[in-house]
Amino acid sequence: MPRDRNESLSADIPLSDLRDEGMIRVVTVRAPVCRGRITDIEVPRLPRGYRAIRAEDIPGENRLAILGFDIPILARDRVAYAGEPVLLLAGPDPAVLEDLRSTVRVSVQEEEPVLEWESFSPEQVIQRRSAVLGNPEKAFEAAAEVLEARYRTDSQEHLYPEPQGALAVFDYDKLVIRCATQWPFHVRDCVRSVLGVKPQEVIVRPTPLGIPMEGRLWYPSVLACHAALAAVLCRKPARILLSRDEDFRFTPKKARSLVTLRAGLDPSGTLTVLEAVVVLNTGAYAPLASELLEQACLQITGSLSIPNLRVQGYAVRTNTPPLGAFSGMGAAHSLFAAESLASRIARDREEDPLEWRARHFLRKGSPLLTGERLRDRTTFEEIGSRLKASSDFARKHGSNELIRKRRSASRSEEAPRGIGIAFGYQANGASYAALASGTFTVETTLNKDLSLVISTSAIAGDEGIRSIWRSTAAGILGVPLGRVSISEVDTASVPDSGPSMLSRNISVVNRLIERSCIAIRSRRFRSPLPIASRAVHRPRNPLRWEEDAVRGYPFESLSCCGAVVELELDTWSMEPRILGVWLCVDGGRIASERFARGTLSSSTLAALGQCFRERLPFEEGRVAENGYREYGLLSLAEAPPIEIEFLPWSDTDPLKGIGELPFLCIPAAFASAAAQASDLGGESLPFDGAEYLAGMEAV
Amino acid sequence: MKLDFILNGEDVSCQAEAGDRLAYILRERFSLLGAKEDCRSGHCGLCMVSLNGRAVPSCLVPAFRVRGAEVVTIEGFELTDDYADLRDGFRKAGAEPCEFCRGAVFLSAAALLDERPRPEATEILEHLSAVFCRCHDPSALVRGVQTAAELRARRMYFRANR
Repeated sequence: MPRDRNESLSADIPLSDLRDEGMIRVVTVRAPVCRGRITDIEVPRLPRGYRAIRAEDIPGENRLAILGFDIPILARDRVAYAGEPVLLLAGPDPAVLEDLRSTVRVSVQEEEPVLEWESFSPEQVIQRRSAVLGNPEKAFEAAAEVLEARYRTDSQEHLYPEPQGALAVFDYDKLVIRCATQWPFHVRDCVRSVLGVKPQEVIVRPTPLGIPMEGRLWYPSVLACHAALAAVLCRKPARILLSRDEDFRFTPKKARSLVTLRAGLDPSGTLTVLEAVVVLNTGAYAPLASELLEQACLQITGSLSIPNLRVQGYAVRTNTPPLGAFSGMGAAHSLFAAESLASRIARDREEDPLEWRARHFLRKGSPLLTGERLRDRTTFEEIGSRLKASSDFARKHGSNELIRKRRSASRSEEAPRGIGIAFGYQANGASYAALASGTFTVETTLNKDLSLVISTSAIAGDEGIRSIWRSTAAGILGVPLGRVSISEVDTASVPDSGPSMLSRNISVVNRLIERSCIAIRSRRFRSPLPIASRAVHRPRNPLRWEEDAVRGYPFESLSCCGAVVELELDTWSMEPRILGVWLCVDGGRIASERFARGTLSSSTLAALGQCFRERLPFEEGRVAENGYREYGLLSLAEAPPIEIEFLPWSDTDPLKGIGELPFLCIPAAFASAAAQASDLGGESLPFDGAEYLAGMEAV
Repeated sequence: MKLDFILNGEDVSCQAEAGDRLAYILRERFSLLGAKEDCRSGHCGLCMVSLNGRAVPSCLVPAFRVRGAEVVTIEGFELTDDYADLRDGFRKAGAEPCEFCRGAVFLSAAALLDERPRPEATEILEHLSAVFCRCHDPSALVRGVQTAAELRARRMYFRANR
């Protein structure tokens, strides 16, 4: 059943299903090496109707500007990673384009690529942050025991449901861009700048996003520019759609991290001082490096309050494809390290990890790295006691410890088991650097027919968020739910609501909807209909990073969570099998428990995948061809039972974001369980059974 | 080559190249876009169709295998009572796969229910493992399929006793 030809302008159709009459396709010719200077691009004679687009053909600026970084739309002189776009080929037949692509020769004077990042050179540092709390030197001098540990996390693929791409079509005198993006206004601004036209000449209408895992924040803007260039230069609608293999190999992935911790304990085992060095490998170009690094530095203590603290963070450039945002942003890297360290200290001291943590939990009034005191109440203790009861943690942990100690050097036939616990918090409405420097706006209009329209450029991602927004507005204004609608995102008609991320859709956008509806309610029966209200969000006390210090308040609210992971290791392969996951969440008022459970369950599976399955096959700075086929995924058949409990809430509690919580707690809980089962470190993710096996044999 | 087969209950015919896969044929020759042509390697399962009653990733099915076969895509399946059972069952159970994987999940679940009218949770998860999507909540999917199985059994009972 053929679809309507005008569908290219309608919403809710995935990009891969959009077609337009006379549409041409665009493919990318990529850099063959990781680093070097382009000396020549040899394009064969092209058939009629086909065109090659080089950097020189760009009518506006050949750069994508984001958060102070410039990324070339097409590499002109130099290439910074293998697979960087160098040239576009546009034409009607995808098969012909593929043939042509294979005949284009890109000659590059190759230079030694920079791939080492754990011990980096000063030239590689693109962002640096540091801050001090208390007096770490003095605290280390007074410490009875000092220990050090290094924690590593590897990259991960977002695996959003449709590869990245963009479609550019003409609508009278406007160019309409269709792409699955989390940040429509960024797409518009980039396309405008690349084409050298006015902002009102470009309209962005996003296509369905699926679960983006923060992988569609800025890269869709690059592809939108490619499609727009082809459309304008060829005067035809143009679509670029990466194959899954291209998407897997060349689009941004999760940043790699190395967190080195040095901790000082007093004679009673209390953690009094922590020194942390966070290194993030952000690949080539790293537009979100500052955001990631700041979140990593600010949450370096995890759920713990430590009075003396020194943190240094470095975002490091390498010649691999861009590495950056993933659900949990930078905080996931540091929480894994901090919570793993907490479990290790408890294990070394032969204390219950929960009891040891209880002496250190972050509480209202605890000092933050910014020098301010925590304003929110935390609920880690209550979460801990609920987890203890639901997972039978104390008994299982105690008996596993006994078995671990008695385990002989020879391998037992019995599969070793482990159970681990970790805590964390999601910083909602985080007021980090540049992403939050803009203002987020939501408009709400109560019409004459008593229908309510919410206008925002925030992308809900799934029906659950949309239903929360609608029910929030309906509840405040007493309008039937069926009369509340959310206008289609179109940069020509909705206000700029900033980038859509898991934590902001609930904590910022929903609050703006609340505020604008309350404003309408106060004017209702005093002003004639329609009544429109606009709510604007500006960070109250934004962060200001200085040399060795940070000032400001780092978030609007926090959602607390704890996770327990129980696993057993196959005796011979050491492959983990997850026996159960328990989550306890304090997410304020839960608007839709069903939706919240679904989000937490699916995020838990992705977080577990990162722990032991999903391993990106990087070789010499590039992801192997057809690496997607080798990429380990946690299948539904292997999904463990996931038990989720919410702390009780009242109707007056605020809504908070919860979607990132599994990414913040589960990796450390998994690592702690794996360490107990294997009797080895658990200091790097993904867990490699073979590596552990070799380690055990050495022991 | 010329292909004659039954597509969503109708006899159809088309030309195809030897290397064409069913997903490509459905999308390009028949504009049936429900089967997503995503990974082209059978990994994601988003191109699932029913081929002679079995759910298979259509990106792996070569053109010659389609000759004389009966193919049902999500567009055809949406017109059946079985689809209505699954839609209502999933809705009742609060399980809502995203717009990208919904068709594949429903076709896989339908094939399972044809084989096992009252499937166990492990069977459901095993069967739906052929479809990969980050939106999946395992317990919600199990509830959805089991609720749909109940609705379907009830419908069959009423039909048999009408």
